[in-house]
Formats: sequence, C-alpha cells, structure tokens
Amino acid sequence: MDGLLNLSPEEWTAVRLSVRVATVAMLTSLPIGIAVAYVLARCKFPGKTFVDGIVLLPLILPPVVTGYLLLLTFGRRGLVGSFLAEHFGIVFSFRWTGAALACGVMGFPLMVRAIRLSIEAVDRRLEEAAGTLGANPLWVFIFITFPLIAPGIIAGMILCFAKAMGEFGATITFVSNIPGETQTLPSAIYTFTQVPGGEAGALRLTLVSIAISMGALVVSEVMARWVGRKMWTE
Amino acid sequence: MNINRRISFGLLTAAVLGLGAGLGPAFPQTPAPLIFAAASLKNALDEIVAQWQRESGKKVVVSYAASNTLIRQIEQGAPADIFISADLDWMDYGQQKGLINGETRSNLLNNRIVLVAPRDATYTLKVAPGFDLASALKGGRLAMGNVDAVPAGKYGKAALEKLGAWDGVKDKIAQADNVRAALALVARGEAPLGIVYQTDAASDPTVKIVGTFPEDSHPPVTYPVALTKASTNPDARAFLNYLRSPAARPAFERQGFTVLGPGSPRS
Repeated sequence: MDGLLNLSPEEWTAVRLSVRVATVAMLTSLPIGIAVAYVLARCKFPGKTFVDGIVLLPLILPPVVTGYLLLLTFGRRGLVGSFLAEHFGIVFSFRWTGAALACGVMGFPLMVRAIRLSIEAVDRRLEEAAGTLGANPLWVFIFITFPLIAPGIIAGMILCFAKAMGEFGATITFVSNIPGETQTLPSAIYTFTQVPGGEAGALRLTLVSIAISMGALVVSEVMARWVGRKMWTE
Repeated sequence: MNINRRISFGLLTAAVLGLGAGLGPAFPQTPAPLIFAAASLKNALDEIVAQWQRESGKKVVVSYAASNTLIRQIEQGAPADIFISADLDWMDYGQQKGLINGETRSNLLNNRIVLVAPRDATYTLKVAPGFDLASALKGGRLAMGNVDAVPAGKYGKAALEKLGAWDGVKDKIAQADNVRAALALVARGEAPLGIVYQTDAASDPTVKIVGTFPEDSHPPVTYPVALTKASTNPDARAFLNYLRSPAARPAFERQGFTVLGPGSPRS
C-alpha cells in the first residue's frame, strides 16, 4: 500500500497533461459559454431552438461520434483542419491542443446550461433599477448581472473541468493516445487495462482521478459559498 | 375482480409471457463458439467464418482486438473458445497462466511487416540498415501498434532497432491500440508513415506499401492458434480443425498470409 501512490514519470505526465488540458478547455470555453448562455437566456430570434439543440448536442451524442465529427472537421484532411494546417500551420492531430478542443467541446453544454439557468434566475428589476439610475447596459452587466450569476458561472466552470478531466471517447477518437501529448488520465488508465499486468498502474491513476475530482468539487463548493456570502453582506 | 385489476393482471401475464418468449431463443442447444482473434485477421477470418457457416450451417462469433488485449480478457474470465494470437509471446503467456490447452496449440500462419504511407504520398524509401526514417517523417508521427504490447508494434520496434532507425524515431511514434487502428491513422493522412502487416496494407486500397522490412530484422511473424482450457464446446474443436484444413487456405492466402503446414509443431 505504501508504494501505491508512487507514480512513475509517465503517470505523472498523464496527470499533469490532464489538468493542463482540462484547465485550458475550461478557460477557453468560458467567454464563449457566457456569451452563448446570455444570448440563449435573454434573446429571441428565429432558429433559437436549433441553436439550443446544437449547443446541447455533445451532451447527447455518443462521445466517439463527437470525436469522429471533430476528426472530420479539424483533422488534417478535415474541412477546417486542412485550411488551418495549410495557412496557419495549426495542426490538432496528436497534439494536446486537439485534446483540449475535444474536452472543451464535450464540456461546453454543461457550462452553458449552468450559466443560462443562473442568468434566467436574475431578478430583472435590479437591472432595470440600475438602468433608470443612469447606467448603460455594459455597466449593468459588469456590476449587476455578473456578480449575481457568479455562482452559476463557477458551477459551470467546475462542471466543464470535471467533464474535461473525464473525457475519453472523443479525445481518443480525435487525437489518439500519445504519451505526453494526448494521453490524459482516462486514456492512460485505458492503456494500462489493455496490457496484462497493468492493474497496479490503473489503480494508482484511478485513485488520483478520484482525488482530483473530489478536490475540484470541494473547491467549487467553497468558492460558491464565498461568493454568495460576499454578495449578501455587501 | 373489477375491470382495472383484470386489465393489470392481463398486462402482467402478457409481459411475463413476452419475457419468456424473448429469453427462449437465448438458450440454444449449443452456443456458437467464441473466437478471439488478432485484429489483422479480420478480412480473412470473416470470409472463413462465412464459408464455415455455408458448409456446416453452424455459426461462429469472432471478437477482433490486439492479442495482448484478448489474452488479458481471457485471463479475466472471458468465455473464449479459441485464441489466435499475432505473436508467440502472448500465446506463451496464456499457456503460463494456465489459460490455453497446450495440446491443441499449433502455428497457423506467417506474415510480414511493411512500411506504409497514404496512397497519394510521393516519396519512396528503401528499408535497409541505416535508413533515415526520421527525416522521411518530416515532423509527423510514425503510426504503430503499442510498441510494448501489441505484436505489430513489438515486431516494428525490433526491426527498427536492428536497422538502426529506432533512436531517431522513438519520440515520434503515434502508438495505437491495435495494428488496424495504426493503419487507419495512415489511411486518414494523420500519420505520414506507419508500420503494419503486409496483409493489412493489402486490405486497404487507400494506403500503399513504401518498403518491406527484411525478415531477419525481427522475430518471425507467426500466428499460433489454440483452444482455451475453459472451452467445452465441441463445435469449437470442429472449427479449429477447419481453420487448419485446406478449405481455409485460399481465404488466408488471398489476403497475403503464408499458411503453415497443418499440424506443424509449435516452435
């Protein structure tokens, strides 16, 4: 049991890579997520249901299907991928950026849902009151709306991070399983389970996964409560 | 009984009967034998299974994956009747662990490993000692099966080491779970080059062979076959004999396998 948490260098690489990929996925999804959630919560436009559907699609599609669609679009010979590769030299295949893209896409619907719910719960009268006092819409958003939806944003971020940490099907289909580049924790555990005698490694990484996920949950609880307390005591 | 109770009772009876009828066909007299076969055997074995079904009327179920994955599943209790491995190591491992019926083991096929590229690639490369594989990759990755576990990856690594090209490319490998996945990476253009079996290259028109590895650069690519110790299915033994019979030869040879003499002793 004492050797259980001695991770080999390759295992540490997988842990660090997972955290990095999940963090990048979460941070890059955030601004887009807030924008999309705001538009879906507040605006009416033709095709809104369709947009809603597209945003929720990665949640319902089998992850391998999402990964395959990403491959068709962003792979070296894909629609967008070939353009990016030719003109900007940006390639997602076998790179951690591809893993981050896959994780971001899979976590996006969860983030949007959480933020949208909190936007819909905001009391519009507070915003209107600020408006009648002379504030412009941007000021209202930054100083009234944003603090009110902050717990929802934190919840969305944590959900996206957790989903990204656990993402496997889309990642392995899109960018395969390259140690150091795209071998995230789930992929590393999967590789261990493919080789006879890999049980110890698989178990170690499973424990690390659980520890990170629980840590993320605790942090999110603490932050949400801190934000909530700050708001109501001001 | 009042009408509601009667309806409920009727529905319940119908559900139970339906369940029974649904489960009935799930218990046939003898279940179809389950074959665990190396991924590279897919095209040939599918043909042979169809042939067998036509000739004997009996079904066979095949699960294809890398040999290391399969033997691991057998170790965990998977109910396979026959195991066909792409290298001797994993069959030896199975025998060591008491999973394989050693008396039924024999060598079935030989194969070669080749270097492949997408069909529209323009370069040629001579596979010879000291050849410069690293620069042929031009920053891309070499697609191979996992070099520690998948037979095709192991053969590939041995060959590259023998030819002196391993150190230049060992950081540039895209390791796949099985040889067909490595083939797919090359076919899709994600990897500029890959190491797969000759038979895999022949089965996929979207890749072409750039070079063949000399046979003395790696251990012989031999496919052993055996019944598992746990197998009690008489149809499995019959199918095993069919695999070794001349009737199965054409399907294997069409894909490019070398069929070894029936009943050849294991080396």
